[in-house]
Amino acid sequence: MSLLSVENLNQVYTDAYTHEEMTAVGNVSFDIPEGQFISLIGPSGCGKTTVLNIVAGFIRASGGSVMLAGKPISGPGPDRGVVFQDFALFPWKSVEANIAFGLKMRGVDKAERKRRAREVIELVGLSGFEAKYPHELSGGMRQRVGVARVLATEPTMMLMDEPFASIDAQTRRVLQQEVLRIWEQERPTVLFVTHDVDEAIFMSDRVIVLSSRPSAVQADIEIPIPRPRTWSDVYADPAFVRIRRELMAMLGVDDDEKGS
Amino acid sequence: MTVDTPVRSQQRSRVETAGAWTGLLRVPGIRTWGPFAVVVAIWALIAELELFPSAFFVGPGTVFETTVRLIERGILPSYIGDSLLRLAVGAGFGVVIGVALGFLIGLNKYARKFSWPMLLFFQAIGDIAWLPILIIWFGFSLTSVTLVIVYTVTFPLIISIVAGIDSIPQNLMRAAASLGAKRWRGIVEVVVPAALPGISSGIRTGLGYGWRALIAAEIIIGTSGVGFMMFEARRQGDVSHVFIGMVVLGALWYATDALILAPFEKETVERWGMVEGIGR
Repeated sequence: MSLLSVENLNQVYTDAYTHEEMTAVGNVSFDIPEGQFISLIGPSGCGKTTVLNIVAGFIRASGGSVMLAGKPISGPGPDRGVVFQDFALFPWKSVEANIAFGLKMRGVDKAERKRRAREVIELVGLSGFEAKYPHELSGGMRQRVGVARVLATEPTMMLMDEPFASIDAQTRRVLQQEVLRIWEQERPTVLFVTHDVDEAIFMSDRVIVLSSRPSAVQADIEIPIPRPRTWSDVYADPAFVRIRRELMAMLGVDDDEKGS
Repeated sequence: MTVDTPVRSQQRSRVETAGAWTGLLRVPGIRTWGPFAVVVAIWALIAELELFPSAFFVGPGTVFETTVRLIERGILPSYIGDSLLRLAVGAGFGVVIGVALGFLIGLNKYARKFSWPMLLFFQAIGDIAWLPILIIWFGFSLTSVTLVIVYTVTFPLIISIVAGIDSIPQNLMRAAASLGAKRWRGIVEVVVPAALPGISSGIRTGLGYGWRALIAAEIIIGTSGVGFMMFEARRQGDVSHVFIGMVVLGALWYATDALILAPFEKETVERWGMVEGIGR
């Protein structure tokens, strides 16, 4: 049975200035089985972040249904941990306190929070930075905290909204591998929104392509590349090259590395 | 495992590029008193040159002597004490009321719809514009003075707390909610600390206005206090007392900033990187 099921999702909003009705999401349906890593890609403005926000419970859909483990979603909750593009860390809390926040909300006692936070800090490679404040960290390290903060509460699903988009290229490659390494240990179900085709293929079991506005699912592609994956292996994989070309064509992007 | 390098403190690189002047300014005594020394020197020079008659303009030496005499006679300490007590009482009530109303208006949309037009309306009626009616109601009393201060402290505080709450990044609230924070936990854990830059700038503005309102109130309805002293001195043609009053006002505000406001900001909003160092 699929863990998340999105059916005929539709999102219409009224522009505040022109009062025109805009359709952000036309008709989107897909399922995610438990433990799968799914990427959502599509041309800019296709509403992929809107879909994630609806699944997160941040905004209410105009139509359609979103069910998590058979239950409809009503508002945000700790069963769906969200990793944000802008990290959204609490500036007044130390790395450790940020990571322990979800546990604190759940009423876990202090000693246990500390133990679990240390465990996750170790896992994401932030040992030695427990007492730092977010502004003292680099972008890459901040997002490690963002991922750790979600992992600490062991959510049913992880929702990641372009988590590496504001991180420099080299660090991004490292973080992608790191997140995959962690994912293989913990195996949470992941909905990953990105505009980066390479990233989508590298990270995912399946890539769902949305068409431009009003969006619908244009393609749903399995990624048969064996795990564990590293960038050097994946770049050389014929499946990667083939799927990449396919996706680029679908998104209307000129592939300047033809046949490479 | 690769660990990215942490961001280095910006202050360091600023110091590295600094020249001799900025180097000199790093010596604590010079940094604090240097600018004042320059002003006092110019002041002394103007007085020494006798550009103005001494009945209109006195030098730092005269002011210092008079200050010592006023302290010895106990007048200055008791006036300063009176003014500070009034400010403390007024500002205390003002901060409590301002913080409570600020959060209520900032968080509750009905409270906001009801009170926002009113806030704008009453904001326009400046502090001393209330004095005539307050004097009619409460006479030349401490109550009138306190009410004016409460009024001047409350309004800027409310407005900057509301602005502070409005400027909390949406994703911060979303993150808190998705980590399981319910309404009240979210307010305590996220809204209050995230609104701290607004609160601290509101308190700064509010106290500054309150301090000025106090002096104005003392001039009009005072029987003691720094404002009263200055205005009495004017009536008796004693310029040195007026000068002392001005110096005292500046010095007390400087002390309030250095001893209370700045350390608070340094430990909170600056420590957390939410605002850059204020005035440093």
